[in-house]
Amino acid sequence: MRIALYDYGAGNLHSLGKALEGAGADVVVTADWSEALGMQALVLPGVGAFGAAARALPDDRSGLRQALADGLPCLGICLGMQLFFETSEESQGDGIGLVPGTVDLLDAPIVPQMGWNDVEVGNDPIFEGVDSLVAYYANSYVCVPDDSAEEIAWSEYDGRRFAAGVRRANTWGLQFHPEKSSGPGRRIVANFVTVAQELVR
Amino acid sequence: MLRPRVIVCLDVKDGRVVKGTQFKNLRDVGDPVELAAQYEAEGADEIVFLDVSASKEARGTLLDVVRRTAETLFVPLTVGGGVRSAEDIGPLLRAGADKISVNSAAVRDPELISIGADRFGSQCVVASIDAAKEDGLWRCYTHGGTQPTELDAVEWAAECQALGAGEILLTSIDQDGARNGYQLDLTREVADTVPVPVIASGGAGRAEHLRDAFVVGHASAALVAGILHDGLTTVGALKQSLTDWGLPVRPTPLGTNT
Repeated sequence: MRIALYDYGAGNLHSLGKALEGAGADVVVTADWSEALGMQALVLPGVGAFGAAARALPDDRSGLRQALADGLPCLGICLGMQLFFETSEESQGDGIGLVPGTVDLLDAPIVPQMGWNDVEVGNDPIFEGVDSLVAYYANSYVCVPDDSAEEIAWSEYDGRRFAAGVRRANTWGLQFHPEKSSGPGRRIVANFVTVAQELVR
Repeated sequence: MLRPRVIVCLDVKDGRVVKGTQFKNLRDVGDPVELAAQYEAEGADEIVFLDVSASKEARGTLLDVVRRTAETLFVPLTVGGGVRSAEDIGPLLRAGADKISVNSAAVRDPELISIGADRFGSQCVVASIDAAKEDGLWRCYTHGGTQPTELDAVEWAAECQALGAGEILLTSIDQDGARNGYQLDLTREVADTVPVPVIASGGAGRAEHLRDAFVVGHASAALVAGILHDGLTTVGALKQSLTDWGLPVRPTPLGTNT
Protein backbone atom coordinates (compact mmCIF):
# COMPACT_ATOMS: atom_id res chain seq x y z
CA MET A 1 0.00 0.00 0.00
CA ARG A 2 1.10 3.56 -0.61
CA ILE A 3 1.63 5.56 2.55
CA ALA A 4 2.35 9.29 2.60
CA LEU A 5 5.02 10.32 5.10
CA TYR A 6 4.49 14.02 5.55
CA ASP A 7 7.62 16.17 5.55
CA TYR A 8 7.38 19.41 7.55
CA GLY A 9 10.90 20.21 6.39
CA ALA A 10 12.59 19.54 9.72
CA GLY A 11 14.09 16.46 11.20
CA ASN A 12 14.80 12.80 10.71
CA LEU A 13 12.34 10.86 8.55
CA HIS A 14 14.68 8.01 7.64
CA SER A 15 14.09 5.65 10.53
CA LEU A 16 10.32 6.00 10.30
CA GLY A 17 10.39 5.59 6.53
CA LYS A 18 12.49 2.45 6.84
CA ALA A 19 10.26 1.03 9.57
CA LEU A 20 7.21 1.53 7.32
CA GLU A 21 8.99 0.03 4.32
CA GLY A 22 10.13 -2.87 6.44
CA ALA A 23 6.45 -3.60 7.04
CA GLY A 24 5.80 -3.73 3.32
CA ALA A 25 4.57 -0.20 2.74
CA ASP A 26 5.41 1.85 -0.34
CA VAL A 27 6.44 5.13 1.32
CA VAL A 28 6.09 8.47 -0.42
CA VAL A 29 7.76 11.36 1.41
CA THR A 30 5.88 14.50 0.50
CA ALA A 31 5.25 18.07 1.58
CA ASP A 32 2.27 18.37 -0.77
CA TRP A 33 -1.03 17.95 1.08
CA SER A 34 -3.10 17.10 -1.99
CA GLU A 35 -0.62 14.35 -2.84
CA ALA A 36 -0.52 13.17 0.78
CA LEU A 37 -4.30 12.96 1.06
CA GLY A 38 -4.44 11.00 -2.19
CA MET A 39 -2.49 8.11 -0.68
CA GLN A 40 -4.02 5.11 1.05
CA ALA A 41 -2.69 6.14 4.46
CA LEU A 42 -0.94 9.09 6.06
CA VAL A 43 1.82 9.30 8.65
CA LEU A 44 2.56 12.55 10.47
CA PRO A 45 6.05 12.23 11.95
CA GLY A 46 7.11 13.63 15.28
CA VAL A 47 9.88 16.04 14.52
CA GLY A 48 10.19 19.78 14.90
CA ALA A 49 8.37 22.36 16.96
CA PHE A 50 4.55 22.61 17.15
CA GLY A 51 4.40 26.12 15.71
CA ALA A 52 6.65 25.29 12.75
CA ALA A 53 4.73 22.10 12.01
CA ALA A 54 1.36 23.84 12.40
CA ARG A 55 2.50 26.43 9.87
CA ALA A 56 3.20 23.55 7.47
CA LEU A 57 -0.43 22.45 7.71
CA PRO A 58 -2.71 23.66 4.91
CA ASP A 59 -4.18 27.10 5.65
CA ASP A 60 -7.62 25.58 5.43
CA ARG A 61 -7.57 22.61 7.79
CA SER A 62 -11.02 21.43 6.76
CA GLY A 63 -9.92 19.17 3.88
CA LEU A 64 -7.37 17.41 6.04
CA ARG A 65 -9.78 17.15 8.96
CA GLN A 66 -12.48 15.79 6.66
CA ALA A 67 -10.16 13.21 5.07
CA LEU A 68 -9.29 11.87 8.51
CA ALA A 69 -12.90 11.98 9.65
CA ASP A 70 -13.85 10.09 6.46
CA GLY A 71 -11.53 7.28 7.46
CA LEU A 72 -8.12 7.85 5.84
CA PRO A 73 -5.89 5.70 8.06
CA CYS A 74 -3.47 8.02 9.82
CA LEU A 75 -0.69 7.63 12.35
CA GLY A 76 0.59 10.71 14.17
CA ILE A 77 3.75 10.40 16.21
CA CYS A 78 4.70 12.68 19.12
CA LEU A 79 4.27 16.14 17.62
CA GLY A 80 2.24 14.51 14.85
CA MET A 81 -0.18 13.27 17.50
CA GLN A 82 -0.34 16.70 19.12
CA LEU A 83 -1.33 18.18 15.75
CA PHE A 84 -4.61 16.23 15.90
CA PHE A 85 -5.70 18.63 18.63
CA GLU A 86 -6.84 22.21 18.19
CA THR A 87 -4.04 24.15 19.83
CA SER A 88 -0.99 23.61 22.00
CA GLU A 89 0.32 25.50 24.99
CA GLU A 90 3.62 25.42 23.11
CA SER A 91 2.50 27.74 20.37
CA GLN A 92 -0.39 29.71 19.05
CA GLY A 93 -0.27 27.76 15.80
CA ASP A 94 -3.52 25.94 15.14
CA GLY A 95 -3.60 22.18 14.94
CA ILE A 96 -5.96 20.08 12.84
CA GLY A 97 -8.72 20.09 15.42
CA LEU A 98 -9.77 16.48 14.82
CA VAL A 99 -9.64 15.31 18.43
CA PRO A 100 -11.29 17.55 21.06
CA GLY A 101 -8.93 18.22 23.94
CA THR A 102 -5.80 20.10 24.87
CA VAL A 103 -2.02 19.75 24.61
CA ASP A 104 -0.48 20.65 27.96
CA LEU A 105 3.06 21.44 29.04
CA LEU A 106 4.50 18.74 31.28
CA ASP A 107 4.77 20.11 34.79
CA ALA A 108 7.84 18.32 36.18
CA PRO A 109 11.30 19.14 37.55
CA ILE A 110 12.95 17.81 34.38
CA VAL A 111 11.43 18.71 31.02
CA PRO A 112 11.60 17.47 28.26
CA GLN A 113 10.85 13.91 29.17
CA MET A 114 13.82 12.29 27.46
CA GLY A 115 14.33 8.59 27.39
CA TRP A 116 12.69 5.22 27.74
CA ASN A 117 9.49 4.94 29.72
CA ASP A 118 7.08 2.11 30.42
CA VAL A 119 3.90 2.09 28.38
CA GLU A 120 0.73 0.35 29.48
CA VAL A 121 -0.99 -0.67 26.27
CA GLY A 122 -4.71 -1.03 25.85
CA ASN A 123 -6.60 -3.49 23.70
CA ASP A 124 -5.98 -2.07 20.25
CA PRO A 125 -4.75 -3.83 17.09
CA ILE A 126 -1.85 -1.37 16.82
CA PHE A 127 -0.36 -3.07 19.89
CA GLU A 128 -0.88 -6.61 18.60
CA GLY A 129 1.94 -8.86 19.82
CA VAL A 130 3.44 -6.17 22.04
CA ASP A 131 3.04 -7.46 25.57
CA SER A 132 5.40 -5.30 27.56
CA LEU A 133 6.53 -2.01 26.12
CA VAL A 134 9.28 0.38 27.13
CA ALA A 135 9.32 3.16 24.55
CA TYR A 136 11.43 6.19 23.72
CA TYR A 137 10.01 9.61 24.48
CA ALA A 138 11.30 13.10 23.70
CA ASN A 139 8.44 15.41 24.61
CA SER A 140 7.68 18.48 26.67
CA TYR A 141 3.92 18.34 26.06
CA VAL A 142 1.21 15.73 26.54
CA CYS A 143 -2.23 15.36 24.97
CA VAL A 144 -5.38 15.40 27.05
CA PRO A 145 -8.42 14.28 25.03
CA ASP A 146 -11.77 15.52 26.34
CA ASP A 147 -13.07 11.97 25.99
CA SER A 148 -10.82 9.60 27.92
CA ALA A 149 -12.32 6.70 25.95
CA GLU A 150 -10.08 7.84 23.08
CA GLU A 151 -6.97 6.97 25.10
CA ILE A 152 -5.47 3.61 24.14
CA ALA A 153 -2.16 3.59 26.07
CA TRP A 154 -0.69 5.28 29.12
CA SER A 155 2.62 6.23 30.67
CA GLU A 156 3.53 8.01 33.86
CA TYR A 157 6.05 10.81 34.23
CA ASP A 158 6.86 12.46 37.52
CA GLY A 159 3.71 11.02 39.03
CA ARG A 160 1.43 12.16 36.23
CA ARG A 161 -0.34 9.57 34.13
CA PHE A 162 -0.82 10.71 30.57
CA ALA A 163 -2.05 9.39 27.25
CA ALA A 164 0.75 7.51 25.49
CA GLY A 165 -1.67 6.81 22.66
CA VAL A 166 -5.04 8.00 21.37
CA ARG A 167 -7.37 6.63 18.75
CA ARG A 168 -10.33 8.21 17.03
CA ALA A 169 -11.80 5.92 14.35
CA ASN A 170 -8.97 5.32 11.86
CA THR A 171 -6.63 7.91 13.36
CA TRP A 172 -3.96 6.79 15.80
CA GLY A 173 -1.67 9.04 17.79
CA LEU A 174 1.39 7.89 19.74
CA GLN A 175 3.22 10.22 22.10
CA PHE A 176 6.36 8.07 22.11
CA HIS A 177 8.53 7.35 19.08
CA PRO A 178 7.91 3.78 17.86
CA GLU A 179 10.56 4.24 15.17
CA LYS A 180 13.10 4.90 17.97
CA SER A 181 11.85 2.18 20.31
CA SER A 182 13.84 -0.72 18.85
CA GLY A 183 12.10 -4.04 18.12
CA PRO A 184 8.75 -3.52 19.88
CA GLY A 185 8.45 -0.06 18.29
CA ARG A 186 9.01 -1.47 14.83
CA ARG A 187 6.31 -4.01 15.54
CA ILE A 188 3.87 -1.18 16.31
CA VAL A 189 4.72 0.56 13.04
CA ALA A 190 4.21 -2.74 11.22
CA ASN A 191 0.88 -3.21 12.99
CA PHE A 192 -0.26 0.20 11.73
CA VAL A 193 0.59 -0.84 8.17
CA THR A 194 -1.32 -4.11 8.62
CA VAL A 195 -4.37 -2.40 10.10
CA ALA A 196 -4.34 0.32 7.44
CA GLN A 197 -4.18 -2.34 4.70
CA GLU A 198 -7.22 -4.05 6.14
CA LEU A 199 -9.09 -0.76 6.40
CA VAL A 200 -8.56 0.24 2.77
CA ARG A 201 -9.19 -3.22 1.36
CA MET B 1 8.95 5.10 35.12
CA LEU B 2 11.68 6.79 33.12
CA ARG B 3 14.63 4.43 32.74
CA PRO B 4 18.26 5.47 33.35
CA ARG B 5 19.92 5.37 29.93
CA VAL B 6 23.13 3.74 28.78
CA ILE B 7 24.42 5.63 25.75
CA VAL B 8 27.22 4.36 23.51
CA CYS B 9 29.55 6.90 21.91
CA LEU B 10 31.49 6.21 18.71
CA ASP B 11 34.24 8.50 17.40
CA VAL B 12 33.85 8.80 13.64
CA LYS B 13 36.59 10.05 11.34
CA ASP B 14 36.27 10.18 7.57
CA GLY B 15 33.41 7.71 7.64
CA ARG B 16 35.04 5.12 9.92
CA VAL B 17 34.88 4.47 13.65
CA VAL B 18 38.27 5.21 15.15
CA LYS B 19 39.80 4.76 18.53
CA GLY B 20 42.84 6.32 20.10
CA THR B 21 44.12 8.22 23.06
CA GLN B 22 43.30 11.94 23.17
CA PHE B 23 42.74 11.88 19.42
CA LYS B 24 46.27 10.50 18.87
CA ASN B 25 47.28 7.12 17.47
CA LEU B 26 43.87 6.71 15.88
CA ARG B 27 43.14 3.30 14.53
CA ASP B 28 40.24 2.00 12.52
CA VAL B 29 37.87 -0.18 14.51
CA GLY B 30 35.01 -0.59 12.09
CA ASP B 31 32.03 0.61 10.13
CA PRO B 32 29.78 3.04 12.03
CA VAL B 33 26.61 1.66 10.45
CA GLU B 34 27.39 -1.90 11.52
CA LEU B 35 28.68 -0.97 14.96
CA ALA B 36 25.67 1.22 15.75
CA ALA B 37 23.28 -1.61 14.82
CA GLN B 38 25.33 -4.07 16.86
CA TYR B 39 25.17 -1.84 19.95
CA GLU B 40 21.40 -1.46 19.52
CA ALA B 41 21.12 -5.26 19.44
CA GLU B 42 23.16 -5.44 22.66
CA GLY B 43 20.76 -3.05 24.37
CA ALA B 44 22.23 0.44 23.92
CA ASP B 45 19.52 3.00 24.65
CA GLU B 46 21.02 5.58 22.32
CA ILE B 47 24.00 6.04 20.01
CA VAL B 48 26.21 9.11 19.77
CA PHE B 49 28.50 9.76 16.80
CA LEU B 50 31.26 12.22 17.60
CA ASP B 51 32.77 13.40 14.34
CA VAL B 52 36.49 13.92 14.85
CA SER B 53 37.32 14.58 11.21
CA ALA B 54 39.52 17.56 10.70
CA SER B 55 38.76 18.38 7.09
CA LYS B 56 35.81 20.16 5.58
CA GLU B 57 35.63 17.48 2.91
CA ALA B 58 34.59 15.06 5.64
CA ARG B 59 31.21 16.82 5.89
CA GLY B 60 29.66 14.96 2.99
CA THR B 61 31.07 11.69 4.30
CA LEU B 62 29.54 12.31 7.73
CA LEU B 63 26.12 13.04 6.24
CA ASP B 64 26.33 9.84 4.21
CA VAL B 65 27.25 7.82 7.31
CA VAL B 66 24.38 9.36 9.27
CA ARG B 67 21.96 8.61 6.45
CA ARG B 68 23.00 4.97 6.16
CA THR B 69 22.99 4.54 9.94
CA ALA B 70 19.50 5.99 10.36
CA GLU B 71 18.15 3.49 7.86
CA THR B 72 19.07 0.53 10.06
CA LEU B 73 19.11 2.05 13.55
CA PHE B 74 15.91 2.13 15.59
CA VAL B 75 17.14 3.87 18.73
CA PRO B 76 17.96 7.61 18.91
CA LEU B 77 21.09 8.87 17.17
CA THR B 78 22.90 12.02 18.29
CA VAL B 79 25.59 13.57 16.10
CA GLY B 80 28.19 15.94 17.49
CA GLY B 81 31.44 17.41 16.39
CA GLY B 82 30.25 18.47 12.98
CA VAL B 83 28.09 21.42 13.95
CA ARG B 84 29.84 24.72 13.44
CA SER B 85 26.90 26.95 12.56
CA ALA B 86 23.10 26.90 12.55
CA GLU B 87 23.24 25.95 8.87
CA ASP B 88 24.87 22.64 9.79
CA ILE B 89 21.94 21.51 11.97
CA GLY B 90 19.21 21.02 9.36
CA PRO B 91 21.26 18.82 7.01
CA LEU B 92 22.34 16.53 9.87
CA LEU B 93 18.77 16.12 11.11
CA ARG B 94 17.48 15.57 7.61
CA ALA B 95 20.20 13.00 7.02
CA GLY B 96 18.85 11.04 9.97
CA ALA B 97 20.22 12.38 13.24
CA ASP B 98 17.57 12.69 15.96
CA LYS B 99 19.63 15.18 17.94
CA ILE B 100 22.70 17.25 17.36
CA SER B 101 25.19 18.21 20.02
CA VAL B 102 27.01 21.52 20.03
CA ASN B 103 30.10 22.46 22.00
CA SER B 104 32.74 24.93 20.80
CA ALA B 105 30.42 26.54 18.27
CA ALA B 106 27.82 27.27 20.98
CA VAL B 107 30.42 28.88 23.22
CA ARG B 108 31.44 31.11 20.33
CA ASP B 109 27.84 31.79 19.30
CA PRO B 110 25.24 30.89 21.96
CA GLU B 111 22.47 31.85 19.53
CA LEU B 112 23.21 28.57 17.78
CA ILE B 113 21.28 26.84 20.57
CA SER B 114 18.26 29.12 20.44
CA ILE B 115 18.06 29.00 16.66
CA GLY B 116 18.27 25.21 16.71
CA ALA B 117 15.61 24.93 19.41
CA ASP B 118 13.25 27.34 17.68
CA ARG B 119 13.51 25.64 14.32
CA PHE B 120 13.69 22.01 15.32
CA GLY B 121 12.59 21.81 18.96
CA SER B 122 14.54 21.63 22.21
CA GLN B 123 14.44 17.84 22.18
CA CYS B 124 17.00 17.72 19.38
CA VAL B 125 19.53 20.21 20.76
CA VAL B 126 22.12 18.75 23.13
CA ALA B 127 24.58 21.16 24.74
CA SER B 128 27.92 19.39 25.09
CA ILE B 129 30.15 20.76 27.84
CA ASP B 130 33.75 19.72 28.57
CA ALA B 131 34.91 20.86 32.02
CA ALA B 132 37.80 20.57 34.46
CA LYS B 133 38.11 21.77 38.07
CA GLU B 134 40.35 24.84 38.16
CA ASP B 135 40.63 27.79 40.51
CA GLY B 136 37.47 26.80 42.34
CA LEU B 137 35.30 26.61 39.26
CA TRP B 138 34.38 23.96 36.73
CA ARG B 139 36.16 25.61 33.85
CA CYS B 140 34.70 24.91 30.41
CA TYR B 141 37.05 24.02 27.59
CA THR B 142 36.41 24.02 23.87
CA HIS B 143 38.03 22.39 20.83
CA GLY B 144 38.27 18.89 22.24
CA GLY B 145 39.37 20.05 25.67
CA THR B 146 42.32 22.11 24.44
CA GLN B 147 41.14 25.70 24.82
CA PRO B 148 40.14 27.12 28.21
CA THR B 149 37.26 29.57 28.50
CA GLU B 150 36.10 31.85 31.30
CA LEU B 151 32.85 29.91 31.61
CA ASP B 152 31.86 27.86 34.66
CA ALA B 153 30.20 24.60 33.65
CA VAL B 154 27.29 24.90 36.09
CA GLU B 155 26.46 28.44 34.98
CA TRP B 156 27.02 27.66 31.32
CA ALA B 157 24.78 24.59 31.51
CA ALA B 158 22.01 26.74 33.00
CA GLU B 159 22.48 29.29 30.24
CA CYS B 160 22.38 26.59 27.56
CA GLN B 161 19.12 25.31 29.01
CA ALA B 162 17.68 28.82 29.11
CA LEU B 163 18.62 29.22 25.45
CA GLY B 164 16.67 26.08 24.60
CA ALA B 165 18.97 23.07 24.95
CA GLY B 166 16.93 19.98 25.82
CA GLU B 167 19.80 17.97 27.27
CA ILE B 168 23.31 18.49 28.67
CA LEU B 169 26.15 16.14 27.68
CA LEU B 170 28.67 16.75 30.43
CA THR B 171 32.23 15.48 30.07
CA SER B 172 34.91 15.64 32.72
CA ILE B 173 38.20 16.30 30.96
CA ASP B 174 40.19 14.97 33.93
CA GLN B 175 38.31 11.70 34.06
CA ASP B 176 37.97 11.14 30.33
CA GLY B 177 39.73 7.91 29.38
CA ALA B 178 40.92 7.24 32.95
CA ARG B 179 38.29 4.57 33.55
CA ASN B 180 38.11 5.20 37.28
CA GLY B 181 34.65 6.71 37.39
CA TYR B 182 32.69 9.75 36.29
CA GLN B 183 33.34 13.11 37.97
CA LEU B 184 30.39 12.80 40.35
CA ASP B 185 30.61 16.23 41.98
CA LEU B 186 30.49 17.93 38.61
CA THR B 187 27.68 15.70 37.40
CA ARG B 188 25.57 16.25 40.51
CA GLU B 189 26.11 20.00 40.64
CA VAL B 190 24.95 20.40 37.05
CA ALA B 191 22.14 17.83 37.31
CA ASP B 192 20.79 19.50 40.46
CA THR B 193 20.91 22.92 38.83
CA VAL B 194 19.45 22.49 35.35
CA PRO B 195 15.86 21.27 34.75
CA VAL B 196 16.86 19.17 31.72
CA PRO B 197 18.43 15.69 31.61
CA VAL B 198 22.18 15.43 32.16
CA ILE B 199 24.30 12.77 30.45
CA ALA B 200 27.41 11.89 32.48
CA SER B 201 30.48 11.38 30.34
CA GLY B 202 34.15 10.64 30.84
CA GLY B 203 35.53 7.99 33.14
CA ALA B 204 33.40 4.86 32.73
CA GLY B 205 35.48 1.82 33.65
CA ARG B 206 33.03 -0.55 35.34
CA ALA B 207 29.31 -0.96 35.92
CA GLU B 208 29.71 0.57 39.41
CA HIS B 209 30.68 3.84 37.78
CA LEU B 210 27.42 3.99 35.85
CA ARG B 211 25.48 3.18 39.01
CA ASP B 212 27.25 6.02 40.83
CA ALA B 213 26.54 8.43 37.97
CA PHE B 214 22.81 7.74 38.38
CA VAL B 215 22.58 7.36 42.15
CA VAL B 216 25.21 9.82 43.37
CA GLY B 217 25.60 12.09 40.33
CA HIS B 218 21.85 12.32 39.63
CA ALA B 219 22.52 11.82 35.91
CA SER B 220 19.68 10.75 33.62
CA ALA B 221 22.05 8.90 31.32
CA ALA B 222 25.63 7.63 31.25
CA LEU B 223 27.87 7.70 28.21
CA VAL B 224 30.16 4.73 27.60
CA ALA B 225 32.80 4.32 24.91
CA GLY B 226 36.28 2.86 25.35
CA ILE B 227 35.50 -0.06 27.64
CA LEU B 228 32.98 -1.34 25.09
CA HIS B 229 35.17 -0.79 22.04
CA ASP B 230 38.05 -2.54 23.79
CA GLY B 231 35.84 -5.52 24.52
CA LEU B 232 36.26 -5.22 28.30
CA THR B 233 32.52 -5.46 28.81
CA THR B 234 29.26 -5.31 26.88
CA VAL B 235 26.15 -3.15 27.11
CA GLY B 236 24.26 -6.25 28.16
CA ALA B 237 26.67 -7.01 30.99
CA LEU B 238 26.59 -3.41 32.22
CA LYS B 239 22.81 -3.39 32.20
CA GLN B 240 22.62 -6.74 33.95
CA SER B 241 24.78 -5.42 36.79
CA LEU B 242 22.70 -2.24 37.02
CA THR B 243 19.52 -4.33 37.11
CA ASP B 244 20.98 -6.54 39.86
CA TRP B 245 21.59 -3.41 41.92
CA GLY B 246 17.99 -2.32 41.51
CA LEU B 247 18.45 0.33 38.83
CA PRO B 248 15.52 0.15 36.40
CA VAL B 249 17.44 0.23 33.12
CA ARG B 250 15.58 -0.83 30.00
CA PRO B 251 15.90 -4.60 29.64
CA THR B 252 18.17 -5.74 26.84
CA PRO B 253 15.94 -6.48 23.88
CA LEU B 254 16.04 -10.25 23.83
CA GLY B 255 13.03 -11.85 22.30
CA THR B 256 11.85 -8.75 20.48
CA ASN B 257 10.36 -8.93 17.07
CA THR B 258 13.29 -7.69 15.04
